[in-house]
Order: sequence, then C-alpha cells, then structure tokens
Amino acid sequence: MIKIIKPLNTTRRTLVAVLMMTAIVLPGSLFAQRNDDNARYSALLTRLESLKQEATLVEDILQIQRLGRSFGFYLDKGYFGEAADLFTDSGRVQYGMDGVYIGRDRIQELFTRHGGGSMNAGPGLPFGRLNLHMQLQPLVTVADDGRTASARWREWALLGNYKEQAQWGDAIQENDYIKEGGVWKISAMRFYTNFVAPYEGGWASLQPVFGNWQSEVARSFRPDQPAPGNYRPFPSVYTPPYHYANDRRAISAPGPIALRRRPNDVLGQLEANADAQELKLARLHSARAVENLQAMYGYYIDKGKWTEAASLFSEDGVWEFGQRGQYIGRDSIRRGLALMGPEGLESGQLNNYPMLQPVIHVSEDNSRAWGRFRSDVMLARNGTGQWGGGVYENEYINDNGTWRISKQHYWVTFWGDYDQGWTGAGIIPMAPASTTNPPDAPPSVVYQSFPNTYVVPFHYDHPVTGEPHNDMGRLTADQAAGRNVR
Amino acid sequence: MNTFKLLTKKTNLIQNKLLKVSLLFLVTCNLGLVTGAALSQTPAQLEALQSELEALSIRTERLQDVEEIEILQRSYGYYVDKSLWYSLHDLWTEDGTLEIGGRGVFTGKDRVFEYMNVGLGPVGPARNLLVDHQQFQNIVTISADGQSAELRGIAMVMSSGGWGHCYYENDFVKENGVWKMKTLHGPFNMYSGYDIGWVDNIIINTWPAKFPPPPDLPPSVIYLAYPSYYVEPYHYPNPVTGAPMPPHDPAAGGEAFGREQ
Repeated sequence: MIKIIKPLNTTRRTLVAVLMMTAIVLPGSLFAQRNDDNARYSALLTRLESLKQEATLVEDILQIQRLGRSFGFYLDKGYFGEAADLFTDSGRVQYGMDGVYIGRDRIQELFTRHGGGSMNAGPGLPFGRLNLHMQLQPLVTVADDGRTASARWREWALLGNYKEQAQWGDAIQENDYIKEGGVWKISAMRFYTNFVAPYEGGWASLQPVFGNWQSEVARSFRPDQPAPGNYRPFPSVYTPPYHYANDRRAISAPGPIALRRRPNDVLGQLEANADAQELKLARLHSARAVENLQAMYGYYIDKGKWTEAASLFSEDGVWEFGQRGQYIGRDSIRRGLALMGPEGLESGQLNNYPMLQPVIHVSEDNSRAWGRFRSDVMLARNGTGQWGGGVYENEYINDNGTWRISKQHYWVTFWGDYDQGWTGAGIIPMAPASTTNPPDAPPSVVYQSFPNTYVVPFHYDHPVTGEPHNDMGRLTADQAAGRNVR
Repeated sequence: MNTFKLLTKKTNLIQNKLLKVSLLFLVTCNLGLVTGAALSQTPAQLEALQSELEALSIRTERLQDVEEIEILQRSYGYYVDKSLWYSLHDLWTEDGTLEIGGRGVFTGKDRVFEYMNVGLGPVGPARNLLVDHQQFQNIVTISADGQSAELRGIAMVMSSGGWGHCYYENDFVKENGVWKMKTLHGPFNMYSGYDIGWVDNIIINTWPAKFPPPPDLPPSVIYLAYPSYYVEPYHYPNPVTGAPMPPHDPAAGGEAFGREQ
C-alpha cells in the first residue's frame, strides 16, 4: 500500500503545488500581460495618429512647393487666370511698392498687365513677349495646427520684348497659405521686387531710386490698398522680413532614431511596422528640413547676415569656399563669411547666392545628411557686376531634432565679369587664402576653376545602378578627384 | 493506523480539496482572461490597426517616390554639366526615349548615350567648355498604383553657347522597385547667345539634321520657341481647382505652329 500510496502521494503533492503556483502566479502574470498588451495597443493607436500627422506635414510641404512652382509655370506662358486660381477668395498680392490687389479677378489682371497678356483673350502671350518667372529656393514653414503655412521664395526672371529689350528680374516672395477643405491655397503673396535690370549693362548699371517707384502698371491699374511701409530696391539693400525670424520649425525634424527590438507577438509585429514607418517619415521630413536649412543659409548670405548664417552651423562646423581655405567653428565661419563684405552689405552691393537643385540623402538612423546643391550667383560691388557658379557638397547633423550644417564646401565652377561672363576675357580666377583674415586650415583639395574643368565628387551612388558613378573610373585621376587640368 | 497514516490521509484530503480549489480558480481566471482579452483587442481591432499602418505605408512610399524622382532628374542635370554620359544613360530604361528641342526622338538607352557622346562631345569635362544645365522647379506626380510618374521641370542653361531655358515633361517607371527615366521630353522656351541676350540672336529651335546623330523618329511636335509662343501641355491639373489646364488661346497672338494632334 505504502509503496503504492507514496508515489501517488508525491505525484499528487507535486500536482497540487504546480497547480497552486499556476493558479496564483499565472493568472497574475496573465493579468499583467493583459494590462501590458492594453497599454501597447493604445500606445500604437496614439503613435498611428502622430505618424499620420507626420506624413501630412511632409505632404503639406510638397503641396506648398507645388503651388509656388505652378504659379511660375502659369506666369511663364500667360496662364494668368490659372495663376489667380491658386489664391483664396480674399487672396491678396502686395506687389513691390505698387500696393495691394485683393481677390482673384484683380490678381489675374495685375499679372496679365505685368506679363503683357490680354484680358480679352484666353491663356497665351503675344509674339515676342518673354515672361519666364522661375520660382526657386522654397523655405516652407507649416504651422503646428497644419491649417496655415508660410514660405519664402526667390524669383529669377527672364523678361523682354523681342528686338526691343531683354531684362533680368530678381525678387523675393514671402507668402501665406491656408488649407481650405483639405486644399492648400495662397492667402497672401508679398512680392518684393529687388530689380528689373536691362540685359545690357546688367544690374550693376542701375541707379538709386528716389521718390515714387510704382510701376507703370500701378499708375493705370490702381491698387485696392496702398503698400504698407516703404522700401527701395537695388542698388539699395533691403531685406524683406523673414517669416522664420524667431521660428525654427522649418529646420526641425524628429531626432536620431535607434531601431528597437520588439516582442515576437502580434502586437510586436505591429510595433515593428510602426517603427519602420516612423523612421522612413522622419528621414523624409529631415530631407525637407535640410532643403529648408540650406535655403535659410542662402537667404541670409544674400543680405550679408553673417551672424545668422554662422548660427546655422554646428559648433565645430566647417565652411570652405573655393581656394580660400577652411574656417572652423561659428566664430571663424563668421570671419570667413565677412570676406564677402560688411555685415548687412554696403549700398550698391548684390550678393545673391541662390540654393538650387538639391540632392539630399539622410543616414539610416536619421542622424546625419549629405546634400549636393548648385549656386549660380549674381554679384555687384562698386558699380561692377559679376556672374559666378559652383556646386556645394555639404554635410549636416541632426542636433536633437534641429538640423545644422556641419560642413559646407562650395566648389567654384566659374567666375566672370558681367559683360562677358564665362565666354571670353572676363574670367576671374578663384581668390586665394586671405592674408588679413586667414583660414584655420588650407583648402581640402587644390583645383582651378574655369576655363579649367573638373568633376565635384558625388556624395551618393548612382540612383539607378546603385554603383559609384561609373564615368569616374573612365576619367583621369585628376578629374575624378576634382583637379582636372586638361 | 498509525499517526503517520492518519496524517497522510488528512493531508491527502486537504490536498484533494486544494487541487479542486486550484483547478476551479485556474479555470475561472482563464475564463476571465479570455473575456478580458475580448474586451481590449479583438482580432478585428488588430486587423484594423494593421490596415491603417498599411495605408500609411503607401502614403510614406509616395513621398519617398517624389524624393527619388527629384533626385533622378536633378542628377541628370549634374551629369550633363560634366558630360558624364555613362551615368546619364544609366538613368534610362532599356527602351526609354529622349527628345530635346526639335531633334526628334531617340529610342533606347544606347541611343541616349549616342545622342550625347556623338552630338555633344566625349565623356568627361573639357577645358574651356561650360554646359551647366540647372534643374529647377520640379513638379512630380505619382500614379495611383505607384508604378509610374510624371514630372514638369525647367533646365536653365548657362553654356559656352549662351543662355537656354527649356521645359521638361518627363515620364518615369518603377522597375523592380527602382525609378527610371522612361521618356525625357524637353521642349525649348528660349535659347540665345551671350553677347546681347534674348533681345535678338535667338535660336528658335533645332531640327533632326542640325547635327549628328540622326533620330529614330521624327519630332513628336513641331513648334518654334521664343520669340514665338509654344506651351508644352501640363501633365497635372490646377492644384487648387483640380481642373485640367485649358488649351492656350491662339487669339493671344504668339503662336507659330500648333501641336500636331
């Protein structure tokens, strides 16, 4: 008996112990598990909403870029009614010192008159009329509620009448936008003409403007309201107000992201999916923030705002320009920038550095970025105009959610006087390192600008093949390293 | 029965009772757990979350698509700058086409290479030759299925020949997850020399025999650039009204030739 009972007893004792443990511990842990799952589930719902908002923000930036670019494409070809349709019912255009025009009909007529179209015909332009208005360098800030936005744009225009005149146009726009019924529209355009200059002689030939400089259009087509305040165009130096003067949202994005391990259960799979979306959206947002950051730098350089421009760099940031050498750290960078002129520029100085053609790549963890840009520059000082051109290969760093420039390198393609540009004897070689305001380090690469040519090395692999740019293997070592002398 | 046996029997009784209580407790708790789980996350809720995340991933992918196509188009410009024809022709699909100005249509990426290498000069930058092709103002529209895209853009040319301004209305396709150029169509708006700019000294267009190599197909449209008026059709509707672009009005006066339908 005992021999039989004893094993039974032991088994039973063990069974009871296990069941008691299970009864006490397992339901406890399952309750905890359930509470934990509930928390994970509701956290996912919350995250989903914030990820949707993040996607909406990037979509908003693209849509506002699309509005501005469409505006340019419509003016180019005399689609003035279509341009006016981009505005709200009570949309406003403040045009230079002409005044303010309110409502789509008035806006259509304003641009029709400026562009040389006809209010009696449909879209189009007369023979011989050139009205190309390139809309460049968007810097878009979307408000926190996602219902309004502001953007700064640069307009570079080619204007003229065949066999009569050819003109360059230069302007800044500071625009407001509103989302009505899910559609972004322009609610206000502040169009700050800087100059309309004859091709012959260029902007450096312009004389200072005195008195009323309203356009011919405004004299016969009166505005609905006078222009608020007053400013004078080039050769005076005027800085249209920055909508982002105290607002850095345009260069903000989520901080660096480390991928997390998730439990191998249903919720864990959803969490991993949300993690992947979060990272992708963060990198897309960051690419737009870097585009805005480089635009912001350009808009400061335009007006000699060296201190503001230097503040966009990381503390140990590097600024390198042509063969002038490298300036390291914000104080040094400000010294380097001042090689271009006094803070705020001097009267008659033009220092337009448009930031164009961005190719931006953000690192896998959203902590760093690389950007290739182009800047073809319009300059003037002491009554002399210049053209210049070059390519940037820059590096950026995500400083806890604010993007900063960690390395800026402008490779000069050509520099020339206005009259002959790059076509003849007007070529100007690159300036060497300054002796009065020397750099912290010599140029990182030695090369010569036009008429010598070279390839600025690409920070990225070919977008289709995924391989390094295969022409590079076919170029000479000097060309590939950016030192061609051929 | 000795005390030991009695004790054992009692213990067994207690154990039996405990066993029943434990089992009951366990069953009750687990029932409760199942009911509780049903109240927090049903399979339907989890599926709804899953499909919301999938919808979001499509939006994310479209944003990624726009960025990749911008990079493709802008890289094209950087390649032209320095005559990087291998990199340039690698942007195309095998059967993609190129049509610039009035030169006609070149079919296949090998002919794209030939157009550049024969027509514009050998691979690599050359001394005293500037061919900067700045890429501006890209408007990218992705198809609903995410497999094709269209782009309107500008090339602002600063070259040894002077100034140039042309549009692009290009098509792209996604092949095995990679965006490629399917059609590059670049109608001229204005080309002029440097000396006096576009007041005169205008190139109104090119034509198939203007320089080698010859095209595979004649131009898809006959037009004259500035000082005449030609507008390349817009691939996208007005972003505010959603209406397609109306045709231009010949009464506006600048048209030289219409688009051949």
